Amino acid sequence: MSKRKAPQESLNEGITDFLVELANYEKNVNRAIHKSNAYRKAASTISKYPTKIRNGEEAKKLDGVGAKIAEKIDEFLQTGKLRKLEKIRNDDTSSSINFLTRVTGIGPAAARKFFEEGVKTLEDLKKIEHKLNHHQQIGLKYFEEFEKRIPRAEMEQMETLIVGELKKVDTEYIGTICGSYRRGAASSGDIDILLTHPDYTSQTEKQPKLLHAVVEHLESVGFVTETLSKGDTKFMGVCQLQQSDEDEEKFLNRRIDIRLIPKDQYYCGVLYFTGSDIFNKNMRTHALEKGFTLNEYTLRPLGVTGIAGEPLLVDSERDIFEYIQYKYREPKDRSQ
Amino acid sequence: MGSDVSRKLRYSATVTSGFLTHKADNLLSSDTYRKWKAARSGEKQTSVILQFEKEEQVHSIDIGNEGSAFIEVLVGNSSAVRDQDYEVLLVTSSFMSPTESRNGSNLNRVRFFGPNQLQKSTAQEKWDRVKIVCSQPYSKNIAYGLAFVKFHSPPDKNDPPTSSPKLTKLGQFRLKDESPSSGPSLQPGSLFFNRDNATKASASLKVSPKNEKLSYAAAALQAGGSSHPSGQASSSNSASPQPPAKRKFEFSKERQSAPVPPSSKKTSPAGSPEGKAVTPKHKPSPASTPSPSTSKASPAQRSADKKRDSQSKPEPKPKQQKAKPQSAQQVPFNRLMEGVVFVLSGFQNPFRGELREKALDMGAKYRPDWTPDSTHLICAFANTPKYSQVKSAGGIIVRKEWFMDCHKRKQKISYKGYLMDGAESSSESEMEVDDQSEEETNTKTPLKQERQVTPKKTPVKRNEDDEYGGSTDVDEPGGDGDESALDTEDELQRVENESRQKKAAVQRKVVKEEDPYGGSTDENTDAEAEEDHPIPELPDFLNGKHFFLYGKFPNNERRLLLRYIIAFNGVMEEYMTEKVQFVVTSEGWHDSFEDALMENSNLNFVKPSWIYAINERKKMLPYQPYTVVP
Repeated sequence: MSKRKAPQESLNEGITDFLVELANYEKNVNRAIHKSNAYRKAASTISKYPTKIRNGEEAKKLDGVGAKIAEKIDEFLQTGKLRKLEKIRNDDTSSSINFLTRVTGIGPAAARKFFEEGVKTLEDLKKIEHKLNHHQQIGLKYFEEFEKRIPRAEMEQMETLIVGELKKVDTEYIGTICGSYRRGAASSGDIDILLTHPDYTSQTEKQPKLLHAVVEHLESVGFVTETLSKGDTKFMGVCQLQQSDEDEEKFLNRRIDIRLIPKDQYYCGVLYFTGSDIFNKNMRTHALEKGFTLNEYTLRPLGVTGIAGEPLLVDSERDIFEYIQYKYREPKDRSQ
Repeated sequence: MGSDVSRKLRYSATVTSGFLTHKADNLLSSDTYRKWKAARSGEKQTSVILQFEKEEQVHSIDIGNEGSAFIEVLVGNSSAVRDQDYEVLLVTSSFMSPTESRNGSNLNRVRFFGPNQLQKSTAQEKWDRVKIVCSQPYSKNIAYGLAFVKFHSPPDKNDPPTSSPKLTKLGQFRLKDESPSSGPSLQPGSLFFNRDNATKASASLKVSPKNEKLSYAAAALQAGGSSHPSGQASSSNSASPQPPAKRKFEFSKERQSAPVPPSSKKTSPAGSPEGKAVTPKHKPSPASTPSPSTSKASPAQRSADKKRDSQSKPEPKPKQQKAKPQSAQQVPFNRLMEGVVFVLSGFQNPFRGELREKALDMGAKYRPDWTPDSTHLICAFANTPKYSQVKSAGGIIVRKEWFMDCHKRKQKISYKGYLMDGAESSSESEMEVDDQSEEETNTKTPLKQERQVTPKKTPVKRNEDDEYGGSTDVDEPGGDGDESALDTEDELQRVENESRQKKAAVQRKVVKEEDPYGGSTDENTDAEAEEDHPIPELPDFLNGKHFFLYGKFPNNERRLLLRYIIAFNGVMEEYMTEKVQFVVTSEGWHDSFEDALMENSNLNFVKPSWIYAINERKKMLPYQPYTVVP
């Protein structure tokens, strides 16, 4: 998933913004992922609320907004700010750690480590570049570029290129660009491709060649410019579109992930990586209600004692919806 | 084994239910092709319960479907009433896709489930009752159920096969309405339903029971695809020609010896069970949980550690260091905790991660949940669910300071001083979760309660007992007499004391052969328990012997056995590897032993009493009197 979520735009932008900031703080600094998710869920419901929220009491009626968040909303609406947030922003630790995690390759743990070694800014990082791993070095090198969001038009251009090149390697490849792009977002943080091939299923051996052939081809046409990591099933790297003529502005370097997924698990993967994560959670909850367990690999029916059954045959995203009797939603309708 | 007639069906269940057209006993009459259709259209789930004449082990199952989308098979004993009394033998398996269900196509798929597709632990036991749960959530128009079901007992037993089903009738065959959510249960007339399907069913049942047996029936399902079913009888006929890639095949070790082409005596629809192991259940790889934070975290927490140190209050246990320099220095830092398999309970991130990291750095192994191979539970406070679980499982429960102190001193300190018992004696002197960031976002644990400093109970190593006498009460051999199985510590204590005494006693004999101080027994000793003893070494009765503990052991026997074996310098194997020479089991002979013997003829199956006898008599004894025989 991208490190940069698209900004929320709604009547209650002020509220959602501070909730998202708190969410990031919990995730990056405290590493309290559940608290973080609670804030994000509240932010997401509030962002869809059709009218301007007047007080915490009103917000509390919404799903995912409890007493504490309502209190914070009240404070924010009354004073225009949030003490907790002010404190966090002024706190050297959290702001630095939050900043450092924006570099790809630096997660909350590494950020804390660097911070404790006195590394707080981009300049500090550059000074200790020799201490960074390859991934982090690339993250540092392209820090500004990776921070920029990718306009949808550019995403489409990349999709066309990738799909075309895939077919040149082997016509049987199936590739899907997931993430917010697939949900129709106007801009994306990075590009996330799910790849499969009929020769590769969960019953066969791993077939790293299927992935590496694609990566090497994309390198050979100059699209993939750097490798962050390359495993048997997942490639992480950097890509860049070539400008078509000299006058054109140069394209930026973008983060790209390619995952190779067994064919029989492909559509569970596509569903999962298309998100949104909140939609995924809701869908899993629905699946459970219907007696199924769904994850990024498989869909399985639950028995009477709660033991998961065999993975069901899934040949499209629709199959999953059908099995769990959930109304099919086009990717663009899966933001919630 | 495996080549006799026993492959034939040896039992099936007879059930009666007087009032159904599609009676449940239809399932079992091998020469008719009627079927059991209990559910009226519209019910989501239904089940049938079958009773065997006597307890049997189920080796494989053949199921012919009649309109169900999913079928699950559970087993239990006659006393079983609720779902919870049953155990899953065959996990919920798919027989029709939603599309097929709605179109009413491919109603009669047949699938064969071999030993590898059945739940291992359940399939190894004997049961006399079977419950089959069918569900069809996708169509309100299909009355669904089963066309037939066949259970096969293991082929390698010598019971004379009986050709006539020796199935008693259960008397009352229960058609349980299992779907609470499906509105009104049995409505009037709901039990009379379409007989017109009967003909279709027979079509599907004319399946020659030969090679198809080997194929995974899912292949048929896949062949059918989700959208274009090719007709109802496709089932097993279409199954075999599937290209192997489509089958979820994987021949396992457990494969029975040569499959004998089954001679289908009757036109029994299911014929004989497959001789080969069919595909194991396809287990989707669970989301592998990489822990990227671990490696990154360590330096961070080391520095965090430093910080803490400087903040910490005066260290109340300097004595340890001088008291016990020898053993500590020999072990490299990253192997300090080798042999420790720990589980964490009650810690929140990020501290949880740091703690885990520290332990991993020292060579310990981490388990997210308590497993049989776990040795220590590191607990934040004494009332977590894991605490109770581990306590009753007889594991060792210690406070986090054990890791912290070992890590800081870079030496292995006995866990004994850190035991977490009911008395909240904790020396939390140093260190607190550094939660400056946690402030108002609380849900804080009751940690505070145990935060008083009680320096007198500071962790002290066990072997210093003598020197420090009463103050290190935890370790005092006072608890010796107490045999309470629950109180693990006392137990361990006792064992240890015992073995110490024995060691002393045995020493004289051993001395003749070996220089008691020359050997290197301590490297193999159970890390936490024995390592700290400077006292005479343990006898090497089991030197060079490799052991594997099979199955369940009552009470704490497993632990005890482990201790003895390791103490006597035997080698424990975690898995059934080629090295294993002795399989210790308290469960008697198990069929799988035969297979194991085929693989490794050096295997000996012994009772735990052998180990105990060696311990009691303090000498190596022949194992022959203690072998387990079929």
